[in-house]
Amino acid sequence: MDGHLVEGVARVVATDGDTVWLEPEQGEACEGCLSAAGCGVKSGGSNRRLLARRFSMVNSFDGQVGDRVVFGISERTLLRASALAYALPLILMVGGAMAGKLMTGSDGGSALASVLGLAAGLLFARFRAGRLDAKGELSPHFLRYAYGPGPSEHCDQD
Amino acid sequence: MQEFILLMIGAALVNNVVLVRFLGLCSFMGVTTKIDTAVGMGMATTFVMTVSSILAWAIEVFLLAPFGLGYLRTITFILVIAAVVQFTEMVIRKVSPSLFQTLGIYLPLITTNCAVLGIPLLNVQSKHNFIESMLYGFASAFGYSLILVIFAGLRERIALNEVPRLFGGPPIGFVTASLLALAFMGFSGISAN
Repeated sequence: MDGHLVEGVARVVATDGDTVWLEPEQGEACEGCLSAAGCGVKSGGSNRRLLARRFSMVNSFDGQVGDRVVFGISERTLLRASALAYALPLILMVGGAMAGKLMTGSDGGSALASVLGLAAGLLFARFRAGRLDAKGELSPHFLRYAYGPGPSEHCDQD
Repeated sequence: MQEFILLMIGAALVNNVVLVRFLGLCSFMGVTTKIDTAVGMGMATTFVMTVSSILAWAIEVFLLAPFGLGYLRTITFILVIAAVVQFTEMVIRKVSPSLFQTLGIYLPLITTNCAVLGIPLLNVQSKHNFIESMLYGFASAFGYSLILVIFAGLRERIALNEVPRLFGGPPIGFVTASLLALAFMGFSGISAN
């Protein structure tokens, strides 16, 4: 692993042999965000998005359900993933639109070329992401256990 | 070709969406604590803003203008943006579940970014054609991402320094943002557009 790590906290929600399934925890600031309901972090909100963001890791740390762990992903991986998912399809879409405009001179030809460019970019991103995934470069890594209560846990002491 | 280059420079630097038009300030202050999150957010916003600009142009030209439905423009564009965000999320999840796990957090935040709504509305106001709408959306989003990354870098440096207690946190952030806005005012001499 190279470069600095972006760290996050997640809770183990299931174990399956050598694999653990985790749900990422949000920081307390997330509760105050206007988009909190959209992310599924708002109290009482739908958990659909959190379920969708579940991820798995190799259980090299003997994790049990309920454990809170700190996971990390390298900054380089994050940048590479962003470029692959967004920048590449976008550049091909804009490039396609410009080429279509220069070749046909019409808005219709330009729009068609931009759609083709976007589709080509997404196909290439799928191919490239598959290769990175096979090498394990897009997977988060276990760093250490997180101690103390999570942001949604309150300690009532009367 | 020259007019496209001028349009893009004007949108990205001269009329910067954050520092000149004051749009997208919430995410500007919210996700600029680290450079890597700023880059991730910037790329996702650039993608959504460009695609939204294209779709908004199509809806304006083929639906709202011919049928005299201009009074529905704002609400229609909000629906378009929400649909683009959902579509992007679905596509990223389908293309690569690993990419979605890594980047999925940024997408819901874009829905409430007023810059994403502001750019299609400015496109309509400026009567841009297809290619101009797309380039204006792309360049504005690039300008937004540029400011996000610059500001994140400044905040990372500020975090390492001793700031007077009264200025700690958001206050020093706003002071820094105002100095950055003053610096970008220097670009206003480039073009009258």
